[in-house]
Amino acid sequence: MDPGPPGDEVAAERAGDVLELPAASRATDIALDELELVYAFIYARVGNRADAEDLTQQVAMKAIPRLRQGAPASAIRGYLFATARSVLGGFWSTRLGLSEAELREDLAMAIPAGPPSAEPEERARRILAALSDNYRRVLELRFLHGYSLKEVAAEMRSTVGAVKVMQLRALRAAAKVPPDA
Amino acid sequence: MPDTPENRVERIVSDLLRGHRLKLRGGDAEEKEAITVAARLAAARQGPQRMNPAFRKRLARALETAPKEGWLTRRAALVAGLGVAAGAVSGGLIGKSLHAAVPAPIARGGIIDPHPGRWVDVGALTDFIDGQGKRVTAGAVGAFVFRRGEAVTAVSSICSHLPCELWWNAGGDSLDCPCHPASFRPDGVATNQAYGLASLNQVSIRVTTAGRVEVLGT
Repeated sequence: MDPGPPGDEVAAERAGDVLELPAASRATDIALDELELVYAFIYARVGNRADAEDLTQQVAMKAIPRLRQGAPASAIRGYLFATARSVLGGFWSTRLGLSEAELREDLAMAIPAGPPSAEPEERARRILAALSDNYRRVLELRFLHGYSLKEVAAEMRSTVGAVKVMQLRALRAAAKVPPDA
Repeated sequence: MPDTPENRVERIVSDLLRGHRLKLRGGDAEEKEAITVAARLAAARQGPQRMNPAFRKRLARALETAPKEGWLTRRAALVAGLGVAAGAVSGGLIGKSLHAAVPAPIARGGIIDPHPGRWVDVGALTDFIDGQGKRVTAGAVGAFVFRRGEAVTAVSSICSHLPCELWWNAGGDSLDCPCHPASFRPDGVATNQAYGLASLNQVSIRVTTAGRVEVLGT
């Protein structure tokens, strides 16, 4: 089932936790603070600044009406993240033909309560920890230490061609690691 | 470099590690799982990210200067007296604003009739909580199923205005669109008639004698 807003947010909404949006600049500041969380969420999934900025801007533009309606704080965040999920889903389905079902795990999330956290790195470490030694090593060297293929080959006493194949197999294996690993 | 899967993925990994945009080509979709996990790992290397100050400034400008026509409702226009003004002014800016605000006639949502269609089991009747929307898929057809006692109804999970997946707002008892301020009742009718949104498409649904819920899908 598609996630609705969590219970505590609904409760906050009912309790009248309404943001005052008296001036355009104040409203913009609030929106930008919320969009920081959206940006971090998107960046953690697309892995580069240019795409993360484009997608965050799309989220902002789509969410403007809600941002301007003086909606409850919890509703604004929930709305932005629901929009982010939709925008990100569109991004991957357009480029790679990924269906919503395939993306469910990638887009599943708890709406963050605070500033951008180290959750993406912890998740990456959990993925790597679930792999065999060789696969973990090649991905650690490449992604965490930024080694070139040549450097990885030297470190692992292998050839560039073999490392390339191992990298692909390691990524395929990493994609199969369950989210709660 | 030959166009092999390992070379294609290496090109993408290499771009990601240099901080470049994801440039995907035909054939890359074959390695979609590997590519999405590569993007995640590349992001993890950078640590928690905040917006670049220049981008934040650009975004602030965009938020403050975004056109307002799209969210001026008919009610708001009438309260502001624009309805009268628009009657007197043909063309021009006010007319354009009102044009964006006046809702199109409300159309009834049609029934999704997939060809070739087939009944797809989406669960036992007891799996559905009374009065709560539950999203199901029947092949290519996505739907929200609602149970009232022994009866079930289903509407499309796609907004009738923008092609966005709706989500069930249990607190508001509505299906909300994440892409714009639109909500629909469980029967598919838009909650805010001022927007003039068409109702959601209806989805054929039935309960078998064995108590299983089936949706007509693909």
